[in-house]
Amino acid sequence: MLPYIIRRFFHLIPTFLGATLLAFLISQLVPGDFVTQRALEPNVRQETIDRMRAQFGLDQPVLVQYVRWMGSLVQGDLGMSFSSNQPVMNVIRRPIQNSLYLVLFATILLWLMAIPLGVFSAVRQYTFGDQAVSAVSYFGLAIPNFFFAQVLVLGLFLFRGFTRETFGYSSLLFPVAGMTSNGWENFTPWHQFWDIMWHMIIPGFVIATASIAGFTRVLRGQMIEYLGSDFIRTARAKGLGNRSITYKHALRPAIIPFIAGIGALLPSLIGGAGLVEIVMAWPGITPRLLDAIQRQDIYVVLGFLVISSLLLMIGNLISDLLLAVADPRIRYG
Amino acid sequence: MTVPNPSQSQMPKGKDVAKVAVGGKTQGRIVWEQFRKHHIALVGLVVLLLMYVAAAFAGFLAPYGMNEYRRTPVSAFMPPTTIHWTDPETGRLTRPFVYEFVSERDPVTRQRVYVENTDGARYPIQFFVRRPNQTYRILGIWQSDLRLFGVEDPARVFLWGTNSLGKDLFTRILYGGQVSLTIGVLAVWVSLTLGLTFGVIAGFYGGLVDDFFMRLVEVLDAIPGLFLLIVLATLLKDPRNPLAQLFGLQMTSAQTFLMIVMVLGFVSWGGLARTIRSLVLSLREMDYAQAAKALGASEGRVMFRHLLPATASYVMVILTLAIPGFILTEVGLSFLGLGPSELDSASWGLLLRDATARGVSIQFVPWLLIPGIPIFIAVLCWNLVGDGLRDAFDPKKRR
Repeated sequence: MLPYIIRRFFHLIPTFLGATLLAFLISQLVPGDFVTQRALEPNVRQETIDRMRAQFGLDQPVLVQYVRWMGSLVQGDLGMSFSSNQPVMNVIRRPIQNSLYLVLFATILLWLMAIPLGVFSAVRQYTFGDQAVSAVSYFGLAIPNFFFAQVLVLGLFLFRGFTRETFGYSSLLFPVAGMTSNGWENFTPWHQFWDIMWHMIIPGFVIATASIAGFTRVLRGQMIEYLGSDFIRTARAKGLGNRSITYKHALRPAIIPFIAGIGALLPSLIGGAGLVEIVMAWPGITPRLLDAIQRQDIYVVLGFLVISSLLLMIGNLISDLLLAVADPRIRYG
Repeated sequence: MTVPNPSQSQMPKGKDVAKVAVGGKTQGRIVWEQFRKHHIALVGLVVLLLMYVAAAFAGFLAPYGMNEYRRTPVSAFMPPTTIHWTDPETGRLTRPFVYEFVSERDPVTRQRVYVENTDGARYPIQFFVRRPNQTYRILGIWQSDLRLFGVEDPARVFLWGTNSLGKDLFTRILYGGQVSLTIGVLAVWVSLTLGLTFGVIAGFYGGLVDDFFMRLVEVLDAIPGLFLLIVLATLLKDPRNPLAQLFGLQMTSAQTFLMIVMVLGFVSWGGLARTIRSLVLSLREMDYAQAAKALGASEGRVMFRHLLPATASYVMVILTLAIPGFILTEVGLSFLGLGPSELDSASWGLLLRDATARGVSIQFVPWLLIPGIPIFIAVLCWNLVGDGLRDAFDPKKRR
């Protein structure tokens, strides 16, 4: 197993180099460099600008710049943010953490919702319930994430209007913006944790719905296939109960492709989370990325691209390893 | 218990044999016949056709111009206009009419509210109105000023309300279809061209070429798509970017439109290239491909005349199922304000952006969410059509 992990890890390096090179080349599309903005300030002299260019290596060819940037990247230094005058790492750490919380929560929610739904439609194949599940999952597939979030927010406001008139209860059922309540810093840690969870419910649910459709459909197909196979017949012949057959014998092999799919799920979840973050004012990657691009804060943009693609590759690696652990048929020698 | 008649059950009748022998159908015909039996997919197809026609004839169907609005009397955030079907005095059915609206301030919330001026004149809804000062072009060719319906000034009819500037949302949604419904279809072709070309080349040559393209796909996959899209779209849109300066470009709306198409296609060809490659890997070992090679066909001919067509049915399904994804992505980009700009077009995503704009409380202006409904319908229908096509192409699912 260990050699396999090591080999997979080294396999990532060229991809990572390629991804960083691509990101760097794209960053060259930014008009001018950050010194150009400085140059517009009246009290900055031309010599200072030239000195800064030389200091940051901006007068060198692109490839040299890339190698330099890569060199400091390997040492964990992502450069300086121009607009806030801090190391990029400090600027991007919080947003990435916040996005990861959300995506993790959404993934758990997705599994919690999709597995029972998939099993249900497989066991009750062609019943009304099965068709209802597939109809609902079509809806989940077709509704844009951010629009769904907007609709839910509207729904919460309308519901508040209703409860206010009938019960005099005038606060929202779930929070509709941000990650924390007012005065969060003064909460106890336990309370802080619950507050964030509370704020994650709506955006997490919205992000999860987008993937439920595909997930449920494939799980249903897999389950149906396994439920019709010989070893299930043997299990029945042995006199095993329905519950044990469904959940122990059929579900276990049926779930394997999804373990492999975690890695593939991540990019779509991160992407899907992006627009929801905007609607729900979640302090995640996407709002900060948009902000950084508008300010032409190149190294922050690069930092986001590099760290998110690194996370993506690690996610893929982990799901491959999980797959090797979960499925004894996979050879990794 | 009846014994089955041997002549019926075992021997096909002479008529049937002849039918089977003569009735050679083309692949397209079989697929169409299978597709027609898929009722839901057929409904999806019809709805889609209607939507595309509505977008093409937006000028005729919409009562106002896309950017038409009046400062006085103010019409910002006007709710959908009530159309009266019955005479308020007699209660009898009458020709549909509207009243003029006057704006007032709600004494408690200080929100602007619009009140019907029921004492004033009634303005019947007229059909086939000519509005000479608001002309439009259909498909960019035929100029006209004929509108399906409208009311006389000073009354106005806003079927789905207005936005912050008082522009008619119904009109803008019709025009928005021109952007949102076409970008996906065009981007699929870009992605298809890149994916097919690189996929076939990688699969056909194998070795280093294959390695190169597959690593390239991995690299593209390694950066989260949305972030790549955001960065590319923002930077390319900026008139000061090096590429634009090189070609002296000042992006007009049409160019931004094309740019988004290109960027969408560029970011998404990887998956297609990978599948085509694996198909070609097995196809090139087939006898007919070897025969073509032995007969002296050039590499290009073998690749694009013999191998590529064999992937056609598969590609068509992938294509149809990819379009809704592209529509969703475009809508998302426009929602972030990265699509074609506000003035020249009205992508559905851009319209939804108004609903989360600063200072807008959605519970007071819920009609701003209406543009999400056509997105939902379009994506749903494309998915249905794609699923129908997939089943129609699949010999195992023949009915």
